[in-house]
Amino acid sequence: MPDRKDVPVVKPGDVTQRVGVEVIRARGVDVEKLIKMLIANAAAEFASTYYYYTILRMHLAGHEDYKEICEDARLEDRAHWELIVPRIYELGGELPNDLPAFHDQAGCRAAKLPDPPTAVNILTLLLESERCAIRSWIEICDMTFGKDPRTYDMASRILNEEIEHEAWFIELLAHERDGKSIPSGHFRRGEPGHAPYSKNAAFYNP
Amino acid sequence: MKTTPDSFQVILVMPKEERSIQVSREEHIWDAAFANGITLPALCHQGYCLTCAAKFESNGEVDQSDSLVYLPEDREAGFLLPCTAKPRSDLRIRTHQQKEMRRFRKQKGLLAPYSWNED
Repeated sequence: MPDRKDVPVVKPGDVTQRVGVEVIRARGVDVEKLIKMLIANAAAEFASTYYYYTILRMHLAGHEDYKEICEDARLEDRAHWELIVPRIYELGGELPNDLPAFHDQAGCRAAKLPDPPTAVNILTLLLESERCAIRSWIEICDMTFGKDPRTYDMASRILNEEIEHEAWFIELLAHERDGKSIPSGHFRRGEPGHAPYSKNAAFYNP
Repeated sequence: MKTTPDSFQVILVMPKEERSIQVSREEHIWDAAFANGITLPALCHQGYCLTCAAKFESNGEVDQSDSLVYLPEDREAGFLLPCTAKPRSDLRIRTHQQKEMRRFRKQKGLLAPYSWNED
């Protein structure tokens, strides 16, 4: 816990500084780095909701169950994007004005349709995309734990869902590619885009 | 008959110390370092985000085919991505080069994740 005297004073009426930023900086958060990482993660979530699922699920003909799970994951990634953007601006950051520049900031590669677009190739791509997302979000959790409760709360909610997505795609890929059963441990989401963690919705717990 | 070595000596020049490790030809340098108690920077572990970037300090060869994006320009400039690099010779590399590699990619107009607004 920093000495209160170490927290820079924000003068009354000053709109050039934010207490909400200075208090987390005083607790050791590298705010500029955090903003950069949030932009990279926002770009990855934005790209994922576009590539990973809108395009990829179009090529899962005959696998309606896979399509539905892809749709859940796609909409949850979109919910993540919606959560991240306000936090970037609160911290004093901003989104790049140029969409290609924004796209190129993503810390995970855009998941373009694999060639050939088989279910196994698509599920493999999705699995690795979720893994990249997990690595990116746990990094934000580590950076903010005990220092920036607002960003930590958001990051941990997103991380919860990314971990579930990985489990889904392990289950599906193991079934599709290896004929093996590796349960995700989850039964179902509610309606598409349920996003229990990132939308603060009720968990499936009958 | 000339045989292909199974492993190589990789010297890691880190900000505060220098360590030498053995890395097999089928192992990523990052993983071998980790197995030796050295945690180098990394994020995506897919050879994409540039967080693990390092630079050759001497002549050497790596197999970077496991990387999602590793460009000929990167090699020319002496950068490598240890998270997905397998050694093909003894190496001496300087770690913690993410800023430098991002700056290089950005200057060249190449894909540079995490470099938004970075000088």
